[in-house]
Amino acid sequence: MSAEPHSVSALYFDGRSGCGQPVRVRVDGSELVAEPLALPADTQAQAASPGRWPLRSVQWPERTRHGQRQIDLPGRASLQVADSAAFDAWRRNNGPRESWVVRTQQNWRATAAATLAVGLVLVAGWLWGVPWAARTALLVVPASADDAVGAAALQSIAERWLKPSTLAPQRQQALHKAFADAVQAAFPAGDAPRYTLRFASAHKALGPNAFALPGGSIVLTDALVNLLQDQDDAVLGVLAHELGHVQHRHGMRALLQFTLLGAAAGAVLGDFSSLLAAAPALMAQLSYSRDAEREADAMAVRVLRASGRSPAVMAVFFEKIAALPERSSSLPIALASHPADAERVRFFSEAALVQRR
Amino acid sequence: MSLEQVGTGQQRLPVRFVGSGSEYFRIWVVNLLLTLVTVGIYYPYAKVRRLKYFHGATEVAGNPLSFHANPHAMLRGYLLVALMLGAYTLAGRFSPAAGLVAFVILAALWPALWHSSLRFRLANTGWHGLRLRFTGERRGAYAALAPGFALAFLLLAGGLWLQPEGVAGSNPDAQPQPPDATAVMVVGLALPLLMLLASPALLWLLRSYQHRHYALASQSTRFDVTAGAFYKLGLRMAGVGFLAMLLVGVVVGLVMAWWRPWAAIDGSGTDKGWVMAMGVFIGLATTFMVYLVVWPWLTARTQNLVWNGTRTHALRFDSRLRFAPLLRLTLKNWLLIVLTLGLYFPFAAVATARMRLQAVEVLTTADPDALAASDTPHDEAAAGDAAGDLLGLDIGL
Repeated sequence: MSAEPHSVSALYFDGRSGCGQPVRVRVDGSELVAEPLALPADTQAQAASPGRWPLRSVQWPERTRHGQRQIDLPGRASLQVADSAAFDAWRRNNGPRESWVVRTQQNWRATAAATLAVGLVLVAGWLWGVPWAARTALLVVPASADDAVGAAALQSIAERWLKPSTLAPQRQQALHKAFADAVQAAFPAGDAPRYTLRFASAHKALGPNAFALPGGSIVLTDALVNLLQDQDDAVLGVLAHELGHVQHRHGMRALLQFTLLGAAAGAVLGDFSSLLAAAPALMAQLSYSRDAEREADAMAVRVLRASGRSPAVMAVFFEKIAALPERSSSLPIALASHPADAERVRFFSEAALVQRR
Repeated sequence: MSLEQVGTGQQRLPVRFVGSGSEYFRIWVVNLLLTLVTVGIYYPYAKVRRLKYFHGATEVAGNPLSFHANPHAMLRGYLLVALMLGAYTLAGRFSPAAGLVAFVILAALWPALWHSSLRFRLANTGWHGLRLRFTGERRGAYAALAPGFALAFLLLAGGLWLQPEGVAGSNPDAQPQPPDATAVMVVGLALPLLMLLASPALLWLLRSYQHRHYALASQSTRFDVTAGAFYKLGLRMAGVGFLAMLLVGVVVGLVMAWWRPWAAIDGSGTDKGWVMAMGVFIGLATTFMVYLVVWPWLTARTQNLVWNGTRTHALRFDSRLRFAPLLRLTLKNWLLIVLTLGLYFPFAAVATARMRLQAVEVLTTADPDALAASDTPHDEAAAGDAAGDLLGLDIGL
């Protein structure tokens, strides 16, 4: 026997009957040929018709360490090879080159590299891929979607947490007007994002708070207005910050990111557990929202400056919040941790300095 | 031709699974990488590769199963299903009413997709040089799924009706009328209870539609399991769940009995945080019990029940999957998956497949070669050939 076999034995199935016929398989020019191995005297019909198939139409099996080899032929016919080692040796010289996917799968070093690459792709996707995808998806999502989502969210929040505001109507009116004027000053062309300012008396758990919802609802709690009693400028700064969230559609973006992360986590872990799949999506929200806060702060500076106020008023807001007896963790505008707050105070102070110069 | 004539003695054909965890790990990780970098487009190709490996590693009477699906066709099917499910999820986010409408549309299409998917999967699965067939009709798929969808619709609509303001949308002036107490009882308690009571029957409808319509060569399956057997299984599952929860209760009781005196000494006997920690523990323990104990039990018993009740003229199955080994395997798999941050998953998948498949034997009264050799009926073969034109759906259910 030569080391490089010329042919290999197999079972041939014609695709209509499950009766396997022992054959020898070899390559002849551009064709695969199967010749009956044992020729019982009474089956001459079979012997007269050895199978020939153009190599192009042959589907070669992928090499694996375990299991038999099965070759798919046209018309549902197939060849089954029990001796995989013999088949692999024969194929090396006679069959087509294996695809790079198979070569990677059969190589431990390449597989280790692939494992590392999976880790890198996951990290990169987390850091850049998902935020980018959410931003891109945001371009296709119509504004009416924001309205619908925002309305539903406002309703469920209002049911659980909000009561009608107890602020004097004049006070509400004054803040309404002051904010409208400031926004008008910042967007003289009238291209300001559409918003609806709502005053509400919130449940204790929300504390002094302001938040923006998709679709442009900005909710300001009585507690925050009272906290910044003589600091209307700071209230306007907070509102302008929320307007920033509205303009950048942060609410909708967060929702998209949440959905995308859920889908991605499902693809990786989904087979395994939907329980684990939800966790990363939840964790991610906090780290993403810091970037969003920065964008919103930029809007606050823009509106404050345009209306002739100093961005430094926001420092007052942070001071007052920090001085609260028990910092509520559900305070969206100051959600980030202490060092980040310090960074933001610095941002507003520097913005104030630039303005003065 | 009648198979009884071929042989009367019963033969046991072993099922062997020859795949290995380390080999599947290499296939899995390359699949995962390609799926990630192509943002999911590669998924059907990965799935075909995975199924080819698992089928090829499953040998019945020494002959491997085979999988022949065309991944291009499957990609089309996946895109369609992804689009539909995406639209459904989004609709639910916008408003409950839109979600309900989307549910009705999905429910109207799903049985047809399921039927198409079953035909696709079977027509692309082979053994002994022959393809399997799914002989069920589309009508049957609708009949099998309709009761479940109808109940789910009632549940959804009932939930919507309990929150009338959900429909009103952005109308803050409308004072929501509190629904009267009987209605709340009916919708909030009776409907979910009905769903729970109906679920064994619903599952039975599903499985009996599937298992009545598998075919290979001249052999077509019938399904001898009654809905009653599914109810018995459901009751016993409730029993297993109860025992598991009893165990959790005993542990909690012991911890409290042991901890209380100590907690009382430093004066924090009624510490809120402590109660909360206990609550979290109970929640986690319940989840673990469901995933790690009840689920393997149900898997083992369902496999045995369903496959032992599936038979053809000359073939039947003998599945003896035992709970204790499957429980041990499940615990080991989860532990190692967590410890390896998921890298153990392919090893776990192979080990589970091996245990589940090798618990089965095929009993035949006919010679296995003769069995497969009996010619496929003509029209059936033609129907099978049309499989290439199917949408390439492979949704599984």
